[in-house]
Amino acid sequence: MSLRVYAIAYLIFLYAPIVLLPLFAFNDATIIAFPLSGFTTEWFSALKTNGSLHGALTNSLIIAGCTAVFSTLLGMCAARAAAMSHFPGKGGITGFVMLPLVLPEIIVAVSLLVILRQVLGLDLGNWTIIMAHVLICTPFSIAILNGAFGNLDPSMEEAALDLGESRWSAFRLVTLPLVMPGIISSMLISFTISLDEFIIAFFLTGSDPTLPVYIWGLLRFPAQLPVVMALGTILVALSIILLTIAELFRRRGIKRSGAKDTGGFL
Amino acid sequence: MTDLIKLRGVNKYYGTYHALRDIDLTIRAGEFFSLLGPSGCGKTTLLRVIAGFEGVSAGTVMISDRDMANVPPNQRPTNMVFQSYAIFPHLTVAENVAFGLRKRSDIAKSARAGLVEEALEMVGLGGYGKRAAHALSGGQRQRVALARALILKPKVLLLDEPLSALDKKMREHMQVELIRLQRHVGITFILVTHDQEEALVMSDRIAVMFAGEIGQMDDPETLYRRPKSRRVAEFIGKMNFLPGQVVALSGTDAKADVATGAGQAPGTVPPNRTNRLLTDLMDKIAPGTDTTEDTETPADTAPAPELMTVEIAGLGTAQISVDQAPEGAKLGDAAVGIRPETLAILFEGESPKRHECPGVVDEVVYYGDMTYYDVRIKDVPQPLTIAMKNLIGRPVLEVGATCRVAWDDRALVLF
Repeated sequence: MSLRVYAIAYLIFLYAPIVLLPLFAFNDATIIAFPLSGFTTEWFSALKTNGSLHGALTNSLIIAGCTAVFSTLLGMCAARAAAMSHFPGKGGITGFVMLPLVLPEIIVAVSLLVILRQVLGLDLGNWTIIMAHVLICTPFSIAILNGAFGNLDPSMEEAALDLGESRWSAFRLVTLPLVMPGIISSMLISFTISLDEFIIAFFLTGSDPTLPVYIWGLLRFPAQLPVVMALGTILVALSIILLTIAELFRRRGIKRSGAKDTGGFL
Repeated sequence: MTDLIKLRGVNKYYGTYHALRDIDLTIRAGEFFSLLGPSGCGKTTLLRVIAGFEGVSAGTVMISDRDMANVPPNQRPTNMVFQSYAIFPHLTVAENVAFGLRKRSDIAKSARAGLVEEALEMVGLGGYGKRAAHALSGGQRQRVALARALILKPKVLLLDEPLSALDKKMREHMQVELIRLQRHVGITFILVTHDQEEALVMSDRIAVMFAGEIGQMDDPETLYRRPKSRRVAEFIGKMNFLPGQVVALSGTDAKADVATGAGQAPGTVPPNRTNRLLTDLMDKIAPGTDTTEDTETPADTAPAPELMTVEIAGLGTAQISVDQAPEGAKLGDAAVGIRPETLAILFEGESPKRHECPGVVDEVVYYGDMTYYDVRIKDVPQPLTIAMKNLIGRPVLEVGATCRVAWDDRALVLF
């Protein structure tokens, strides 16, 4: 009984703030406070006409898209190597590759800023953010793709090779279709992480902010708060949808390769 | 028969681990050849060397007189049935079987569907083409893997423990089917197995491997009856070992007829030909046809050039041919090997044999068609395992019963 109460309290504590977001996004008042005064979609309409918001959104989508592709490609290489090859120091290298998962983002952000600006003398822009996001997203990609490649029977590719295919076509015809759900899942999760990421983007952004950085900028103007709430509502909905799709693909992949589900992110 | 595969001085190292040691092997066209050995003996590595998945550290692999040194697996005239079968789960059965035809420009696209159906018919899966491969049972997967390899008509079919994932009944059934299939298509089969019974049943010749080396390479009967070393004897079938001592060696002028002479072979005799093994196996699957004792096999007709006199602990003195001592005839201590089925318990009314001694039943293991007894004999350090067929009217003895044990000079092997 007490355990049930604890579980309910825990869930309320976890999700109540997120539930408040749409509540105030549709509230007809500029002040974020109870009681609610009325229903409006005014704040969502305001989003449509905001030019600098659209610029920030475009930036974020480009960065998230590129990050998803690159981190998944890198993740595929790492996961395939981890699953199918044996080389000295494999365990250590795998651990090292996964390290950014637990590294504080602020440290990554500051050190990257120093290296890019002071050491390499590069101008900040979307590409610098993409590089940094690939760094933090790749461990997630590897974690997902490790499952996909690890469940794969190593004889599969050999069988295709044995039946006359070249190494590349064996990979394309057999391995790729079997890990495809994992690839899609990895791309969606990287995309979501990159889209939501603030600290690194804040440090490395050039003249054009990403969406989270733009939202942070809006907070200085109390009158804009309901607009931020509306934007936040959309982002939360989008994140939940993408992560759900990612998880569905991951499960489908495991079912297809006939292995046992050993858990994932959701 | 022409030689199809020739391995000369093949060595394989993984780092410092010596996986294959100086393998010399010749496999003839159309042969059913088995690589048999305990796990980790290098048999799968050897198969993968022939398939081209592993390179060699030293030595040459020739298939049809062509050096395979720089030939990748997709260009070798070999196909493989993997231990896991490696059926592509995202394709249908027909797409799986047709997979290897993709790169075969010599086979017209229009002819492919017919070939696929033909291959599926051959393995008993006619009409299964449209099914999803991941929904098949273990036995069906194996048949698909066979069809997928055989449709390409390779010179050599490599089978990596293909039956180990099946249950006993299915395994015995597939053994017979594989033999039939091999005779039907006439392709050289190379089978890797750790199951000595499977190897004996199916093969024309067997190479027994230990720790990366070939311990003995012979036909099943020779391997079973004349193992060249104690290692092989222990691995193939069951064998009792007794301490013995060679007390005399004598030349051809000695009583040569002792070794080859008259006297009924006690109990059952080891099966002597592959086709006989096949019928035995079929009997196992459909029992009840054979209730009589196997007939006597013809005695060795080769003249025995030399005889050895051996004192065997507890059993007495035996005179055996030097052929029965594969590691050489010399005076002194030796281990005497006796197969359980060459020993016999004499039941009431059975006439006394050449050699006989009293014993006490220590353990009874009843298999249905056979009963295995462990019998204690005075001065024999360990109880002897004796295999008896359960013939009509023959009782199964109980633990503690006294009995007479008969043995024969000709069934002994000396190490």
